[in-house]
Amino acid sequence: MRVATDIGGTFTDLVAVDDQGKTILTKSHTTPPNFEEGVIRVIEKSGVRPEEIEDFIHGTTTIINALTERKGAKTGLITTKGFRDVLEIARCNRPDLFNMVFAKPRPFIPRYLRREVSERVSYDGKVVTPLAEEDIRAAVEYFKKEQVEAIAVCYINSYANDEHEKRTVELVRRLWPEVFVTSSIEVTKEWREYERTSTVALNSYVMPVASSYIDNLDRRLKEAGCDAKEYIMQSNGGTTTFEQAKQTPINMVESGPVAGVYGSAILGKMIGENNIIAFDVGGTTAKCSLIDNGEVKVTTEYRIERTESYAGYPIMAPVVDIVEIGNGGGSIAWIDEAGSLKVGPQSAGAVPGPVAYGIGGTEPTTTDACLVTGRLSAENFDNQVDMDAVRGAIQEKVGDAFGMDTDEAAMSILRVAEANMYNALKLISVRRGYDPRDFTMVAFGGGGPMHCARLAKELNIRKVIVPIAAPVFSAWGMLMTDVRHDYIQTNIRRMNEVTAEELNGMWTGLLSQAREQFEKENIPEENIVCNYIADMRYMGQEHTVKVNVPPIPWSEETKEEIIRRFHDTHEHFYTFRLPDTPTEIVNLHLVAYGRLTKPELAHIPPQEGPVETARKETRRVYFEEEGWIDTPVYLREKLGSGASLDGPVIVEEAAASTVAAKGQRVTVDVYGNLIIETEVQE
Amino acid sequence: MAEVKVSPVTLDIVKDSLIAVSNEVFYAFARTSMSPIIYETLDYASGIADVNGKLLTQGNGACGFIGLIAPMIQEIIEKYGKENLHPGDVYLINDPYMGGGTHLSDIGMVMPVFYREELIAFIGNKAHWSDVGGMAAGSFTTDSSDAFQEGLRFSGVKLLDRGEICQPLLETIKSNVRFPETSEGDMWGQIASLRTGYRRIGELCDKYTVEVVKESMKRLLDQGEKIARNRIKELPKGTWEMEEYMDDDGYGNLVKVKVKITITDDEFIADFTGSSPQVASPINTGYSSLCAGVKVIYMSILGPELAVNDGVFEPMRIFAEDGSVLKCHAPAPTSCYFESMIYSSDVVWRALAPVFPEMLGAGHMLSVCSVVLAGTKQGSGEPFLIVEPTGGGWGASDGKDGEVGQFCVGDGETYNVPVEMAENRYGIMVDEYSLHTDGTGAGKYRGGSGAVRSYRAMTDGQLFTASFGRNKFPAWGAAGGKDGSYNYFEFHDADGKVEGPMGITARRVMNKGDVVRMVTCTGGGYGNPLEREPESVAWDVKNEYISLEQAREDYGVIVDPETFEVTGFTEKRRQEAGL
Repeated sequence: MRVATDIGGTFTDLVAVDDQGKTILTKSHTTPPNFEEGVIRVIEKSGVRPEEIEDFIHGTTTIINALTERKGAKTGLITTKGFRDVLEIARCNRPDLFNMVFAKPRPFIPRYLRREVSERVSYDGKVVTPLAEEDIRAAVEYFKKEQVEAIAVCYINSYANDEHEKRTVELVRRLWPEVFVTSSIEVTKEWREYERTSTVALNSYVMPVASSYIDNLDRRLKEAGCDAKEYIMQSNGGTTTFEQAKQTPINMVESGPVAGVYGSAILGKMIGENNIIAFDVGGTTAKCSLIDNGEVKVTTEYRIERTESYAGYPIMAPVVDIVEIGNGGGSIAWIDEAGSLKVGPQSAGAVPGPVAYGIGGTEPTTTDACLVTGRLSAENFDNQVDMDAVRGAIQEKVGDAFGMDTDEAAMSILRVAEANMYNALKLISVRRGYDPRDFTMVAFGGGGPMHCARLAKELNIRKVIVPIAAPVFSAWGMLMTDVRHDYIQTNIRRMNEVTAEELNGMWTGLLSQAREQFEKENIPEENIVCNYIADMRYMGQEHTVKVNVPPIPWSEETKEEIIRRFHDTHEHFYTFRLPDTPTEIVNLHLVAYGRLTKPELAHIPPQEGPVETARKETRRVYFEEEGWIDTPVYLREKLGSGASLDGPVIVEEAAASTVAAKGQRVTVDVYGNLIIETEVQE
Repeated sequence: MAEVKVSPVTLDIVKDSLIAVSNEVFYAFARTSMSPIIYETLDYASGIADVNGKLLTQGNGACGFIGLIAPMIQEIIEKYGKENLHPGDVYLINDPYMGGGTHLSDIGMVMPVFYREELIAFIGNKAHWSDVGGMAAGSFTTDSSDAFQEGLRFSGVKLLDRGEICQPLLETIKSNVRFPETSEGDMWGQIASLRTGYRRIGELCDKYTVEVVKESMKRLLDQGEKIARNRIKELPKGTWEMEEYMDDDGYGNLVKVKVKITITDDEFIADFTGSSPQVASPINTGYSSLCAGVKVIYMSILGPELAVNDGVFEPMRIFAEDGSVLKCHAPAPTSCYFESMIYSSDVVWRALAPVFPEMLGAGHMLSVCSVVLAGTKQGSGEPFLIVEPTGGGWGASDGKDGEVGQFCVGDGETYNVPVEMAENRYGIMVDEYSLHTDGTGAGKYRGGSGAVRSYRAMTDGQLFTASFGRNKFPAWGAAGGKDGSYNYFEFHDADGKVEGPMGITARRVMNKGDVVRMVTCTGGGYGNPLEREPESVAWDVKNEYISLEQAREDYGVIVDPETFEVTGFTEKRRQEAGL
């Protein structure tokens, strides 16, 4: 059996598929600081027998927590002579333009733990100054004295020649076998020294934490009788083995959220949709990501803790390209100084939570507005909801400010929240040259199903899928993932100068790295699938666009084809092309998958008899265009495949509520996914 | 037309959408640009204005571009008349003496936005081109004596006529700039981003109706003004004066910058009367840039988080004498206009620092420390051109040490060029990029360290031009904190000759193996150094921000050189503590 567990802030989710193809969903409380405890508990609670588990896939927030809570190891950094302050100078930028007392990010490694080594490689990979091994010995001695637990190594131009970094790590390991050590090129071979240094510094910083976490989890699983192959979810949308995760834990930084995006891509493939907009609304944020022709997009421009006014810390490892905004169920509605209604980014969180939770929340939230407008039912809350308190908060904090009644005020909160989500969805689609009409939306998380039909209609998206397991869809996505490794190599070459043969040679180098890695992970050769991406630009430009390129071997004709694709891609993203300007390749990016066996999903029973048997109630729901309408509410688990419901309609399940308006239709497919047609042609 | 009653919530949603459009236009251009000065330094701004040229929203990379888009638009309206503008038109403007002017290198473009034949808005942008012609590669230099030596000047001319490029103008530009492909690439990128904004505003009108969009523009400006007036009411009232001197007028003389700030119940007035007349070196600035320099500090005390629009600027009044260094006439040279612009920021900052200690700290590195290096790349022999700012130390403030290695106030969301990129693209090797830990700027809160960046020429005949202001006057300390240090650069030639330190040079030849070492200052300290936490002093020694001697002399703390523990205090510190 294949089992996925995903640790979140509040709950640890489990999704599995049994031998009959039936999906098992279980939730259990997260158990900080011993997170592995919650994993064992959720397995017990699910009824899955540990010895039955063949593949165990795990998503965890351990790494991001260690970073944001600054609970990593005391770490030392070894750099090229003259460059130890690169980590502190960073990029000199000040996003908070008009704040004269801004604070820039403090480096994770203080100055006294950054040591320099005499060595130098030129931009084209030639050794200018040989590596002074005695400097490394001195640094190690110093670090021992300072009792560091981990060491990071990053040299200038190591992307062009990694010998010195490799030799340094070798030497450190020999001199001090117990210390954790990584070099930048083990994580990425992309250029830009600050970003690469930051990446490896953070990697080493979390290595000891990651190592002990993974070892504990492994031990607990074995003790419970589980002898599965163990994988961990990475930020690139694929998994890796426990062993590799201990060496490059920074690749797990966005372990959880990306799985939902990957799951959307897989779900799309299952039902024949390759262009997907994944839309995930949780308690504090909404996230969205675009999948173009089945491919999840990754970026290496990720930063932790970045905001509009704070630069954050770069991690130059591939992360699924997600746009995240501070708008979720717990987001607070408030009036700004100018008198405008705002929703988020501040969230009421789990405590005190929305007013509806009755545990001290006094600020109206999106969840409260959903209750007042009838999108959510008070009966589905664990507590007894005090509707007077909910209505009172909305009236007092929002209604009175605009001279609106409570219903109108609640609707206004939803309009502003959805406008924020709409702008985020446009950002990933229209603004990047995609026409939403060519896409299907997959909506999940606790709040996704509630907002999706309306937003999709506004964006002219015709079809929305609310998948099975929508509230725990990230875990479902993990269940469906493959092992994935990204190999990125900066090598700036002009397309009219570099030969196809040279390019083939570079790709072959990356391919052999991938094969070597998969061999270590016991992935058979025939299960390896590779995608080839070239980061390209016009000569003179700095920023690149990712171009999907054919597999090798390339000929001179393939090169022509690639240049054509680049012009098209550039025009797609930026509306213009420069046909006479020479083009350059900056990075080769090999995406290597090790395909794993996926569970077969069973069909749910067909709808028999009238859908009315699944009807729970009729309640009044406030819609923006029509006002209050009597709206039938159905229970999702009682609907069979083929069931068809005309809007206005609500379909409820344990932790989510799907809302469709008049003129929209909800049907149930063979797997139990809800399919919403956003504009039914009469 | 019937009165449309629109929910304020709808207006707010449209308002936020307009801001989103402005952001999109901003980033689209940065990502397609051919010039490092644009794509890394983001020496670039774009904005949307209403039908009368009032700024609605602006995307800034460089702080110093604040509020410069709308005056360009107003110049075009005035010159041509609204009735003579057409869909698809784009106007070119870089005149330093006109509205929105900076220096010739910053090319402005203005596009009127129509919706179904009706002029409803304007969109504009302004970007630093790598070269616009003139006497020196990179077009800005430190020794030009009039505007004609600084490149092409466009005083609001049509570049696109109803969507068609004016071919003669394009050819003229390409024949007069040093990197025609780069400039043409940037030009089309600039145009493409304007067109994107145009399309997006149209889509907003499709979705919400043009009436609602126009109404929300009005709401945006009204709200901006309302907030600004509310906040000004709460500020301390009074008049404060300050004068400072810039290093050099080109002939070794100091240049005075003087201000009188008055805050009343509803106005913020900056009067620069008494500042030096315009000078023969290119550090003069036009009136628009002076206003930008003041607006930066105005925003910082009013609320750095506020959205930038012309409503917010309504309460401002700025005066300077015609023909002064801060409001110069044609054809005064302006290619290093930012020196005086940032001095105008600094003098306002320094005047108000005691009044707003929570928003304004001690003095910072101040100068852009601009570098222009032209030469050829080793191996290929291809020409290269570096145009970049240099980061330095910022002052400490109440409760916080100064920041290290940051660009000056006039920059902002501006990025340094990575060493690895620089070495790949230019004919240089970077010997060092580190902090300049001279330990100055002592205070209860310590000034941030400057930076050292050293370039080694890899080919013969490279030409180095730089303007490192704050070479004669250090970053000032505040509230009892000590001054920081000075910006300078020096040459270490391959033959062993050393030249410098100095703050200004034009086209100094560097041959293979010659090194220029660029050093920026440490920011000013804040508060009495004898009151700094002893553990912080020890930490500073351990991290080599200050020396053992400085710990003892400036801070009165004796630190063990092996363990970095505090072992005692000087008599001076003990006395101070006893008081």
